[in-house]
Amino acid sequence: MNAEHATTVERLLEKADAGEPFLLLDVRNDDEYEAWKVEGRRQIEMLHIPYFDFVEDPGLVAQVLSDRREVLVLCAKGGSSGFVAELLRAAGITAKNVEGGMIAYGDYLQPVCVPLDADEADRFEIWQLNRRGKGCLSYVIRCGTAAIVVDPSRNVRAYARLVERLGARLVGVFDTHVHADHLSGGPELARLSGASYCMAAGTGGELKHAVTPVREGEEIRLGDAPGRSLAVRVVETPGHTPGSTSFLVGRRHLLTGDTIFVSGIGRPDLGGYVAEWGRVLYHTLHERLGALPDDVVILPAHYADVSEIRDDGVVAGRLGEIRRTVLELQIRSAEEFVEAMKSALSAPPEIYSRIIATNLGTSQVEAEEAAEWELGKNQCAASGH
Amino acid sequence: MSIKILDAKGLKCPMPIIKAKKEIDAMSPGDLLEIHATDPGSVADFQGWSKMSKTAVLKDQRTEGGSDGKPVYIHVLERR
Repeated sequence: MNAEHATTVERLLEKADAGEPFLLLDVRNDDEYEAWKVEGRRQIEMLHIPYFDFVEDPGLVAQVLSDRREVLVLCAKGGSSGFVAELLRAAGITAKNVEGGMIAYGDYLQPVCVPLDADEADRFEIWQLNRRGKGCLSYVIRCGTAAIVVDPSRNVRAYARLVERLGARLVGVFDTHVHADHLSGGPELARLSGASYCMAAGTGGELKHAVTPVREGEEIRLGDAPGRSLAVRVVETPGHTPGSTSFLVGRRHLLTGDTIFVSGIGRPDLGGYVAEWGRVLYHTLHERLGALPDDVVILPAHYADVSEIRDDGVVAGRLGEIRRTVLELQIRSAEEFVEAMKSALSAPPEIYSRIIATNLGTSQVEAEEAAEWELGKNQCAASGH
Repeated sequence: MSIKILDAKGLKCPMPIIKAKKEIDAMSPGDLLEIHATDPGSVADFQGWSKMSKTAVLKDQRTEGGSDGKPVYIHVLERR
C-alpha cells in the first residue's frame, strides 16, 4: 500500500492526542459505530457515513467537506475504508486509510514510561502499555537485564519487542487475576519467551494452564547487581476474583489489577457471587489496602474513560487521593457495600463467561474469533462512570 | 423474472456489496439476486445498504452451513 494513502492506528492516536486538525470518517454500519468508537485524549472531529452509502452513491464524497484538512477513513478491518479513501482521493481530497481498522485499534498497545522518584529511577523502570481501544493496562518492569510482564494482552509480540528494546530478558509473566473482559496473552508470552507463567495460588482449581503459583509476601527479585536489584512483592487482594493479586514494585508502586482503579473499584459480581466476593472485596479495600500509606501510586489494569489518562500519558493515582474521591470507598460497612454493588451493577456482557473459560484454559479460541470477542471497551469497574 | 446467484464467498467488505450493486443495477424490476457470502459483517451491511438503496430491496436473509462446515450468509435482493 502506498504510504501516502495509508496510516496506522498509532499515528491516528498521536494526531488526536496532540490536537492536530483532521477529520475522522468512520464508514462502519450504524450498530458498530454506536457500540464502539475511537477516542482521543482530545475531542476528535468525526463524521459517520457507512461505506455502503458511498457504494450506492459515490457522489456523497461532496458531503465530506475538506478545508485542506486530512481525512482519515476507518472501518472494522480496513477494507471498506480503503475503498472510501480511494473515492475521496479521486475527488481531490487528501484521504488516508487507517490500516487494520477497529480490529487494529483494539489491539494497539501504547507504551508509556511511568515517572519514578530519583531514588528508584536509577534502579528500575516501569512501562505502562495502554491498550487504548479497550482501556486495558499492562506492564513491563525492568531492573538490570531482567524484566517481567504483568497482565499482558493477546498481542504478545509487542511485549517481547519492548523487553528486547530495553536490553532485557523476560524472566516471568504474571496475571493479577483471571480476566473476564479480554483474553490473556500470559500463557502464549510465557511459551514464546521461555519465562514462567505465574498466578496466585488461590486462583482456583479450574485453572488448566501450567502456572507457577505466587503467595502473599513472596518477593520476586529482578537484577543481581549489588544495590541495584528490585523486589516485587506479592500482595493478595481478593474480591474482584478470589485469586486477585496485587504487586508492590519497589516501595511505592502497586499494580492492582482490577481491585482498585484511579476512579473506581473492580466489580465483584463477574463470577456470579456478588455477596460473597463483595464482602471479600470490602475487606481487601479497607483492611489490606488500608494498611498502605497515602503516597502509594496505584497502577491499575483498566480505566473507564480517557480523562483518566494524565498529561504525561500515564494512568495512575495516589492511594490517598483515590481513598478520598472514589464513592464506593466511602461506604463504611460490608453489608452496605454489598447492597450498593448489587444495585449498581448491570449484567456483564455475555461473552465474558467464554473469555473466562479461555483464560482458565478450559476452552480455546481461534485468532479471528478472539478479535470478535474483544470488540468494545472493558466493563470491569463497579463505579465512576 | 429471473433469479441470479452471486457467489461472494471468501470476499471481504466492501466487495460483496459492490458486486451486488453492479449486478442488481443491471437487472429488471422484479428480478431476484441471491448473494452467498462468508463475511459475517455482510448481514448488517446488506440490511443497512438496502434501506437506502434506490435499486435493491432486501427480501430475505438466512444462514446455511457451507461445504467446509463454516456458515454461509445468504442475502436475497429484489430489483426495485
